[in-house]
Amino acid sequence: MLTEADGRRTGIRAWVVLRFLCTIWKVNLASSLEYRISFLLMAGMMFINNLMWLFFWGLFFHRFPVINGWEYNDIMMLWAVSAGGFGWANMLFGNFHRIPSLAATGQLDVYLTQPKPVLLHLLASRMSVTAIGDFAFGLAVYAWAGDLTIRGFLLFALGLTVSGSIFMFLMIAVGSLAFFIGNAEGIVQQAFNSFVSLTTYPADIFKGMARMLLFTIVPAGYISYLPIGLLRDQNPYFAAGAAAVTIGLGVLSTILFYIGLKRYASGNAIIMRG
Amino acid sequence: MSERLQRWSAKGRKIEAIYRITLRQQLAYKADFILRASFLLLILYVFIQLWTAAYEGDGERLIAGFSLKQIIWYLVFTEALTMASPHLCIRIEEEMKNGDIALRLIRPLSYLGYHYSSYMAEALFRFGIHLAVGSFIAWLFVGPPAFGLGWLGLLSLSAGALTIAFLLNGIVALCAFWIEETRGLEFVLQKLKFTVGGMLLPIDLMPEWLQRICAWLPFQAVLYIPARTAVAYEEAAVLQYFALQAAWIIVLGAGIMVIYRKGVSKLHVNGG
Repeated sequence: MLTEADGRRTGIRAWVVLRFLCTIWKVNLASSLEYRISFLLMAGMMFINNLMWLFFWGLFFHRFPVINGWEYNDIMMLWAVSAGGFGWANMLFGNFHRIPSLAATGQLDVYLTQPKPVLLHLLASRMSVTAIGDFAFGLAVYAWAGDLTIRGFLLFALGLTVSGSIFMFLMIAVGSLAFFIGNAEGIVQQAFNSFVSLTTYPADIFKGMARMLLFTIVPAGYISYLPIGLLRDQNPYFAAGAAAVTIGLGVLSTILFYIGLKRYASGNAIIMRG
Repeated sequence: MSERLQRWSAKGRKIEAIYRITLRQQLAYKADFILRASFLLLILYVFIQLWTAAYEGDGERLIAGFSLKQIIWYLVFTEALTMASPHLCIRIEEEMKNGDIALRLIRPLSYLGYHYSSYMAEALFRFGIHLAVGSFIAWLFVGPPAFGLGWLGLLSLSAGALTIAFLLNGIVALCAFWIEETRGLEFVLQKLKFTVGGMLLPIDLMPEWLQRICAWLPFQAVLYIPARTAVAYEEAAVLQYFALQAAWIIVLGAGIMVIYRKGVSKLHVNGG
């Protein structure tokens, strides 16, 4: 049974971890802003990249106004939740897809020697500058094409949380394979690119087995169906499924990471963190 | 006369050596190739699903003159050409940053000529591989290609297309003489090829105002022209396309020479 003292200790610990995270994020941002022009160029480039995709979709929907129930506005919201979710995850926890390279080059030593939660510390230690462009893009598209009521905003925020968490947890799980199969950088990077690509096309273009895979083994469907299942229809079954998959992936990826970490052997490299 | 012949023969041997070295380098990274090919398969699979939905599964329907089969094969060709292009900007930028350009310049090879030969060797090799992989999935879903002379049109226009791709990439890459990072410019160039180059959507399906703009840009000569010729061969149009590619090669070729000469005259390599 949890006593009051235990509860207080857990609360204090959570507060300490939160303060630690805030400090890391502050330092990451300060270090990114050190090279302001480069920062703006990188973030702006990603913004333009996403905008070009919307331009393509604009041309496509100009010719085909409805594709399996999807309209241009749905695609815009798909890009808003997908890019926005990817953006916040990569801004706050920018190492989530770099576990194989960190393990291969012995860079995990630094996290193992410090009295902080290893996975959390590792994830938050990097802020992707281009991801800021992705996040800003997500917000801009929401402001442009989204439902600007409080309810609409809350649903959008929930969509961002789900998409960013699925991106992050899935890549932690796949990245943790590096502990078991050795050098997996190429495969993980390819899996990452493929997954990101799958999340940016309407889920309803896939039928049969492909659709089943999108909602099971490759859970990209829980991101690419968000504009319809959550934002447009508020389908409770889809929302419950998306929440269950997000939490399940969170637990699975954490377990896989810590089991894998036991197999990690230090490269004995002396590394300064920049 | 014989002296000139000898000079040309020596040049030919140099080009052949560059081709041989580049191909060997390519063959050394088999895993990389398999990963790229698997990504191409996935992307083409997604496109097949998207376009099948757009055509509502009706293989006979024609949209802007394209059947579903033609569109899918068109995408195979544009993807194969896109994925054939090596990252010239990264290479030239690295050469500028670490000073390797000094070594390139003192060799008895033209700097641009070396990069062009190496680019084409790699691009032709990659084009072949990606064309084979893409053809496999398109054949599986929409049936065999029956394009007759279209194949000849594709192969002959692809050489010009890859040359124009080299010139465009080269112009951007040579900006490294003045600015340190050229990746942003390369990125914009890539996106222009994606959209107004007709990589994702044939130009015929775009709104008319955009088609008029595309006609004045070189990007369509890289992707749209060879792929369109392959799936809908028209003899009169092919001759026009050759002329258009030749014109762009002359204009962009002159542009890259001017940029190179200006850039190399202000180059300082420190240390060594």
